[in-house]
Amino acid sequence: METDTTGFIKTKKNRSLMWFLVPITVYLLFFFLYPVIYDIYISFFDYRLGSQAQFVGFGNYRAMLNDSQYMGSLITTMVFVVAAVVAELVLGMIIALLLNNEHPLMQGIRTIILIPTVFTPLVAGLVWKALYHPDLGMYTYYLRKIGLDIGRGLTVERSSALFSVILVDVWEWTPLMVIVILAGLKSLPKDPYEAAMLDGASRLQIFFRITLPLLRPTLVVALLIRTLDALKIFDIIWAITGGGPGTTTTVANLRIYEVGMQHLKIGYAAALSNVLLVFGVIAGVFFVQSLYKGKEA
Amino acid sequence: MAVAGYTNGTKYTLWTLRTLVVICLVIFFMLPVVWILTTSLAQRIAMFKLPPQLFSKPTWKNFSYIFTQMPVLTWTLNSLIISLGTMVLSLIIGVPAGYAFSRVNFTGKRLLLIVILLTRALPTIVIVLPFRVIMQSIGVLGTRFAVVLIDTVYNAAFTFWLMSGIFESIPEDLEEAARIDGCTPIQAFLLVAVPLSKPGLVTSALFAFIFSWNDFLFALTLTSPDTATLPLGMLSTYGVLQQGWTYMAAMGVVAIIPVVTLSLFLQRYYVSGLTFGGVK
Repeated sequence: METDTTGFIKTKKNRSLMWFLVPITVYLLFFFLYPVIYDIYISFFDYRLGSQAQFVGFGNYRAMLNDSQYMGSLITTMVFVVAAVVAELVLGMIIALLLNNEHPLMQGIRTIILIPTVFTPLVAGLVWKALYHPDLGMYTYYLRKIGLDIGRGLTVERSSALFSVILVDVWEWTPLMVIVILAGLKSLPKDPYEAAMLDGASRLQIFFRITLPLLRPTLVVALLIRTLDALKIFDIIWAITGGGPGTTTTVANLRIYEVGMQHLKIGYAAALSNVLLVFGVIAGVFFVQSLYKGKEA
Repeated sequence: MAVAGYTNGTKYTLWTLRTLVVICLVIFFMLPVVWILTTSLAQRIAMFKLPPQLFSKPTWKNFSYIFTQMPVLTWTLNSLIISLGTMVLSLIIGVPAGYAFSRVNFTGKRLLLIVILLTRALPTIVIVLPFRVIMQSIGVLGTRFAVVLIDTVYNAAFTFWLMSGIFESIPEDLEEAARIDGCTPIQAFLLVAVPLSKPGLVTSALFAFIFSWNDFLFALTLTSPDTATLPLGMLSTYGVLQQGWTYMAAMGVVAIIPVVTLSLFLQRYYVSGLTFGGVK
């Protein structure tokens, strides 16, 4: 599109449209780039709200390396992101394939299954907190009833707390995955399927050789959005476990919130969040790269 | 897809299995939804019974309690103003930018796209601290406007991304034709491209509204008691009323009904909008 002669003419003619990009650029410079730069700047200071900032160079970053609580929260975040996103992808794919037909019942299910995704996350957290309640929760009661040993309760035991918050994330976001994959399935070309059918390919072969590669761009976008959002998980965990028991569900965002908003150590919190930002950027670049790779192939 | 070579028995087993899986999944996804609806209508005492009861004698008491004893109306109004504000501002900033992006080639295009994608990669907490400082210095900390401004940072970028994909999928010929008829580029955009991108516009607007309506962290760090939103109100209630699940559920229903209704109502647009913007 960019390389032919008409492309050149088009570019000239449309130059006036560049003004349309001014508001978003100014806005993001002021409210996005400035905060990021401020964050980087302040991370070199020992700055607590209400006191004078002191330059400490890389002191905050060095302190971070010895901060076992933050390092632990980074690991928790990684476990959370990988487990939740993989579960959402696999489950989303299975459900999308199950629902991929035009039976009215399936259409009905498709409509209602989207509800968790638009649920206010804090409300979702509080509802699940009640369902998980160690004494009166419905899930607790029936899990015990079928003979599962859940100790004092799913969210109270160290062994199951992280799993139980991951499950809520899976509940909230799998439907989005389903919808995106379903829409992707609908837009697939028919020809490769007919050819494969003629060749007598099995269902599994068709899925792995045709459906999956063709769905790649859709899946990459879905994975990108989910991964970036999962890195930022806050509401659900805040509501259900508050990061406990102990620090078993303290994800990075929660820890940074404690440091910055409760202990008011702004400089240190900025250093911690910059490290988290690096993870986000790496994930973002990784997915965008693989998206472009898929496009060129 | 034809299931060649399977006997009737296998087919039947497969069908049963499939139905069972679907039923389990529907229960998993719908139970919390049903729980909040029935709990919002339940007597307080029903919450302490074992086995837990999903359905009990319904009452409106919880709703009348939260509306008369708590500032739920104020919270709802704050949520509504903030969400609508974010929606309008995101569209104003994001839609024209998305259009220009899909129609003009310029140096630094990739860079702009990456910067905009970064807003999504940015941990929310990173932006909140400096944002608080900025808002304080321009004297709007604690106002609804401050929350609109920060919600829009995340949203305008998303709107931009979604809309540039949508406009990309609309052939340029129609705008060319309009230009030949004497339209300015801006008229061609407003009169031709914008009406054609309706599913994308609806999707963008809906997302902006939902995102802002559901936000908790930004509201938590930037509002004052007068400008608190529904999620914040809910949290304060939950803390005070220990086992006050019925009130919490009633308030939760108030918090989710608008977004759930809106999204079910607009689902057709929403789904097609998602694919256009997502894949391209």
